[in-house]
Amino acid sequence: MNRLTEILRGPTAALLHKEFLEAWRDRRALWMAVCFSLLFPAMLAGGSIFMVKKQAEEISRLALLGSASAPLLEQRLRGGGLEVDALAEGDPAELLAGDYDIVLWVQEGFAEEYRNFGAPPLYLYIDSSSSSSPRAQRHLQERLGALQQLVVQQRVTARGLAPQLLAPWRLEVRDVSTPSRRGAVLLAMVPGLLILTLFVASLATSVDTSAGERERLSLETLLLQPLPGWQVILAKTLAVASMGWAGALLALVALVSLMPLMPLAELGIQQATTLSGVLTMGLLLLPLALLVAVVQILLALRSGSFKDAQTQLSILQVAPVLLLMMLDMSRVELGGFFWQLVPLVGQQQWLKALLVGESVPAATLLAGSAATLLLVAVAIRLGARALQREALLSAA
Amino acid sequence: MAGTRKIIAGLAVLVASLWLRTDALGQAAGAETCYLDGWRNPLRCYRLPIESEPEAPQLAVMVAPAVNNSGEEPLYLLAGGPGQAASDLAPLLNAFEPVNRERDIVMVDRRGAGRSGAFRCGIEDQRSLDLDAFARKLADCYLDRAEFAESLSSRQTVEDLEMVRSRLGHERIALWGGSWGTRTALLYQQWHPQSVSELVLDAVAPIDTKVFLTARAAEDALQALQRDCANDPACARLGNWRAQLDALLESWDQGGRPVLSDPLTGQPLTEPMARWEFANAIRTVLYDPRAAAQLPFAITEAHSGNLQPLVGLSGLFVKSTESMSMGLTFSVACAEELNRISADEIAADSDGTFLGTAFLDLFQHGCRGWPVKEKPYAAPEPRAQPVLLISGEADPITPPRYADEALGYLADKQHLVVASGGHINSPRGCIPELIARFLAQPAEELDSTCTREISRPPFMVASYGPDIGGTAGNPVKEPGTGGRHDSGEEAGE
Repeated sequence: MNRLTEILRGPTAALLHKEFLEAWRDRRALWMAVCFSLLFPAMLAGGSIFMVKKQAEEISRLALLGSASAPLLEQRLRGGGLEVDALAEGDPAELLAGDYDIVLWVQEGFAEEYRNFGAPPLYLYIDSSSSSSPRAQRHLQERLGALQQLVVQQRVTARGLAPQLLAPWRLEVRDVSTPSRRGAVLLAMVPGLLILTLFVASLATSVDTSAGERERLSLETLLLQPLPGWQVILAKTLAVASMGWAGALLALVALVSLMPLMPLAELGIQQATTLSGVLTMGLLLLPLALLVAVVQILLALRSGSFKDAQTQLSILQVAPVLLLMMLDMSRVELGGFFWQLVPLVGQQQWLKALLVGESVPAATLLAGSAATLLLVAVAIRLGARALQREALLSAA
Repeated sequence: MAGTRKIIAGLAVLVASLWLRTDALGQAAGAETCYLDGWRNPLRCYRLPIESEPEAPQLAVMVAPAVNNSGEEPLYLLAGGPGQAASDLAPLLNAFEPVNRERDIVMVDRRGAGRSGAFRCGIEDQRSLDLDAFARKLADCYLDRAEFAESLSSRQTVEDLEMVRSRLGHERIALWGGSWGTRTALLYQQWHPQSVSELVLDAVAPIDTKVFLTARAAEDALQALQRDCANDPACARLGNWRAQLDALLESWDQGGRPVLSDPLTGQPLTEPMARWEFANAIRTVLYDPRAAAQLPFAITEAHSGNLQPLVGLSGLFVKSTESMSMGLTFSVACAEELNRISADEIAADSDGTFLGTAFLDLFQHGCRGWPVKEKPYAAPEPRAQPVLLISGEADPITPPRYADEALGYLADKQHLVVASGGHINSPRGCIPELIARFLAQPAEELDSTCTREISRPPFMVASYGPDIGGTAGNPVKEPGTGGRHDSGEEAGE
């Protein structure tokens, strides 16, 4: 403990102060971190509000040609999201190119054929290249299906049969999901985006503190100080990680604050994220923030120039998210203990569970975080060795 | 050091809070996940023993958990009959989805119904039965379980519900009652007013109303059907089907008892159809506007000798009859309704109606072999809870006038009347939304204009079904350019 106090009072403290000051006074980097952190929660909330509103207010416009042949059809198709315009004549292609989503043509003689049990055709004109077409067809099918069912029931009943004879069985759907688990679909991308926020928020700072400092020739001065290399890398890592972590925390808080505005209940989703869940998510992101920071610093130090570092890190920030998406899509079973120890994968799994209000065993969290921190320590050691190489300073 | 300790303490609190959450989930340990037909989502199901009566059937309690429980009072669904099980109301959960977003919905099968020891008598699925044979079977059923039959009552059901409310930790509850369930709800409000927050009553059976006197109500419903049919050009062409119905009933009186076929198997039934069965079948058809829309056609066909449409119509109600627990039905009906109906009242109610005493005959015969003690109610006392009343204008058993005339003791009530509506209207049109709005803001008056969009289904006018129209239609030019004729024949259909 005494040694820790000594370190915190000595030149190490000055080093830490310098690194944090440089990281946090860069307005441009700070602005970028804040913007990205707020962007995705806002987009997610806005997107879901818009989606539900659109679904509720969705109206499909149907042009009904020849409705004089079947006025009951016109009457029963109205409602349930279908706006029906009965037109005496018109060209379906032109109508579809205009205001209508679908066109239904009732041909002359329809009613007579219907009365003779001739199963007369109804012609549905669609434009499958239009995005509104499937929705309009669904709306029409709902209305038409209900009328068709009614006619069938009346016909069967009139022949002395119970309508249930037409349904030899009923398919009863039983959904095993819970309202909180249903949130997993909507919130599936959140862990990936939180991890991406770590990368994006710390990117500018990590390039500046490594390749930037080398170009400004202040790195050389820093290395002349009587400080072990690992302390230099650790101080830089802490400063960079503080920026990334703050960004991810901001995104997390913004997301949780916006959740009550999202129409989750309308989607059958329970808002299940708990306060302890949010605190745990914040804490579990810290080791990852450190790992991201140290890897970014190492890569930037290895790069040829400031620009080269920026390019390399830009690619790096997308890679892990892509990797996580691919793992998700490849349906690899990630529930095993081994996967919990793999940085990024473990954190993604825990975030997923905590977002829908489930708990993660503390032992798993601690073991996985310890594995990530071990990698951080190895990376710092590697970084310290790299600092001893003279070639590093002349890389620019 | 102090700082480090603080951090460690903070982490300990955090870890502890994670475990607390696990414990909170574990609270519902008494519940099992279960499903009910007609509702796709999992329910929490409990079997609650009645502590004072260990030999009594355990109560089956099913809870549809709120999507986001906001602490609003849960809504308890009370089923009709008497004899229907609340678990049979599961399909209503689809309509109550807006309510279920913030409130738990609770279904309790009352003692003697559904999963709480259904009291069935083996006559529920009989297609046709002579009235005397029916009464004999019922009497045997009573003798088998006389003590249990005596124990069943509205009072017992309300006390059981009160026990469930307290066991589930609900301080106050909202009630939805359908048909006889409205009686149970109104009695619950009388006996435990402090436990009830709001009531939604669909097809209202007020405490003081003798709802088993149903002949006048059924006649009014039939006349509403006559009116609507006369106003529909296609249905009006069927002619005076009401006179044909009266003629049919008269011919039945004179001994013309046809043998019908079974709507499921198509086989002839063993017994000819009795007049009381025929009249009751007509009454039952009036419950559901979809079935009622086929009645004028079925009657004209029967008048001309084709009874098949009537047979088919009876097939529409096979399932609803089977789901009733007749033992419970007669225990409650005989002790709480039939006991208070006088011969004069029966005569006044049935006079000049198509149903006559056909419905009451069934219960009077049945109750003779079901000698449970009278269980009268006290006169209702004023109550202030907000109440939403829903009635179908053409309901053959609980017409809107019941809710208008017999609920003066309720200080805060609103009444939705569905034009041409039958029995139970909660799932129709915009009514689920109105119910959700009422429960969310019971003090506000509902704008019920949207209920005008609920209409009677199209009448069946011939063997092909409803008239799709087009008789006076103008020829329509075929759409498309180039004069291509796009008919089914050319397409090789």
